[in-house]
Amino acid sequence: MKRNQILTILSIILLFLFLWYANNNLSAYYIRILNNTAIFLMLAASYNLINGVTGQFSLEPNGFTAIGAYTAAILTLTPAQKEAMFIISPMVPWLQNLHMSFFPALIVAGIVTAIVGFLLGFPVFRVRGDYLAIVTLGFGLTIRVVSNNTISITNGPLGLKGIENYTNLWWTWGFAVVTLIIIMRLINSEFGRAMKAVRDDEDAAIAMGINTFKIKMIAFVTSAFFEGVAGGLLAHLITTISPTLFTFFLTFNLLIIIVIGGLGSMTGTAIATILVVWGSEILRFVEQPMHIFNFTIPGIPGMRMVIFSILLIVIMIFAREGIMGQKEFSWDSLFKLFKTKKVANK
Amino acid sequence: MNTVLKCNKMTMKFGGLTAVNEFSVEIPEKEIFGLIGPNGAGKTTVFNMITGNLQPTSGMIYFYDKPIVGLKPYQVVSLGMARTFQNIRLFTNLSVLENVLTGFHHKLKYNLLDTILRLPRFSKNEKIMTEMAMDLLESVNLQDKANHKASELPYGDRRKVEIARALATGPKMLLLDEPAAGMNPQETMSLMYFIEEIRDKFDLTILLIEHDMKFVMSLCKTIAVLDHGVKIAEGKPEEVQKNPDVIRAYLGDINA
Repeated sequence: MKRNQILTILSIILLFLFLWYANNNLSAYYIRILNNTAIFLMLAASYNLINGVTGQFSLEPNGFTAIGAYTAAILTLTPAQKEAMFIISPMVPWLQNLHMSFFPALIVAGIVTAIVGFLLGFPVFRVRGDYLAIVTLGFGLTIRVVSNNTISITNGPLGLKGIENYTNLWWTWGFAVVTLIIIMRLINSEFGRAMKAVRDDEDAAIAMGINTFKIKMIAFVTSAFFEGVAGGLLAHLITTISPTLFTFFLTFNLLIIIVIGGLGSMTGTAIATILVVWGSEILRFVEQPMHIFNFTIPGIPGMRMVIFSILLIVIMIFAREGIMGQKEFSWDSLFKLFKTKKVANK
Repeated sequence: MNTVLKCNKMTMKFGGLTAVNEFSVEIPEKEIFGLIGPNGAGKTTVFNMITGNLQPTSGMIYFYDKPIVGLKPYQVVSLGMARTFQNIRLFTNLSVLENVLTGFHHKLKYNLLDTILRLPRFSKNEKIMTEMAMDLLESVNLQDKANHKASELPYGDRRKVEIARALATGPKMLLLDEPAAGMNPQETMSLMYFIEEIRDKFDLTILLIEHDMKFVMSLCKTIAVLDHGVKIAEGKPEEVQKNPDVIRAYLGDINA
């Protein structure tokens, strides 16, 4: 028990030592990808909580991320910036004058998204299975339409520009680590067992005295909170946000990550996030024009998406469990692995 | 003797079909009560109404004199009523121990804050719950398989885990839907002793549905027979066996 805690703390310290090194020595390009990795880790882990652990197939993260991004951005922009930016129609006055520093803005973004998630949960959890997916998909689309048309709040299709670039490695990885710790603690408790029970057999879970609506709501609101915070981090990383940024492709990317990693496994999610985020950087060449012998293939934007889609299909057919299945990494299992190897060597 | 469960003219209609028609029954404390009837007679519907999975179209259900019609299934569980399913429904991806632990959910003594901050209340109650679950597993002789995945167990053991899980909810009454289904004669015999044993150990009142006549006749003190949603007989096993209506329901009309 004690040993494992020390090892966990040590590995977190190692992670931040690496980030410190990266921050000082690596180019802006790599730092950007590291930031992306952390934000996607937050998004994918919270998405896996509702999709993999609780088994509620929903497609809402792009909507929640948008809400978090807009909330945080509106809060950190200064009143003067907002006045200059809202040229179609002026911003509603109470939002115009609202101004906060970065950290409270992120927390408010998380809370606002969590409240939206809570309200959305009431209609959404009246339906199960495919219907749930369709309703949440509709929600993501609705958010996009709303952000396009509530011009006096979101500046419509023009989006928000000049958001201060507050996000750095410490913020993204700090939040990613906190997210993972909280979600893991939730999973390794009676609440987590109840979530898995709902996933395995909802009717039996009800018969065991589990208020399944409440359990689904806990999972949904928790993931909404972290997706909102991640949205805020994303807004302050790319400094310009508009409704087109939060399309279904974001959700699709996350879906690929959690399926590759294993639905219900946070370890798998972490591995798959790194693979997909870095993989899609490595695969950038497929979108460039290519010369093979005398042929020239023109660069097709979106080819990476095709590759990932094929990958998803292949995984669904041949390796439905993903990398980790539902298993989690634990120090005990690592030590066990070494022990059995030693025994085998003898 | 106290009445544990009282159903008064309980009726369930699905559209034009009357699945259960004015079913009334009174079950006294510590009794093992059998509900039998041909396939499609409405036995499981009766179960679903009592546990709150279905809301009866009309009629009343009292559990220790408290009306329970309109309560959600998880609320009925917290009053002290637990059930098992006809086709065993364990949480297949959870371990045996975790399956049993879910039974304690409705009397959970820590909250989300305790969980996230890992406050002393969390670890203390997790420890107590694990000990209690292990005790339950010991009483069904499965303590050695606590960390096995539920899907890895043989059929008979799964049935026992399902009962242990139901017992974890702390029931006063246990509803068993065809507990002996799919078991061989030896397993059925040991299940019979097992049910009597837990009845005495946990002071339970038991209502069970079963097709295995030998099992029902030797285990139950009182039996009710359901046919096409109507109760056609109730009484001691030997009385029910001789009842001409029951014989007709099972074997068809001799004069027809």
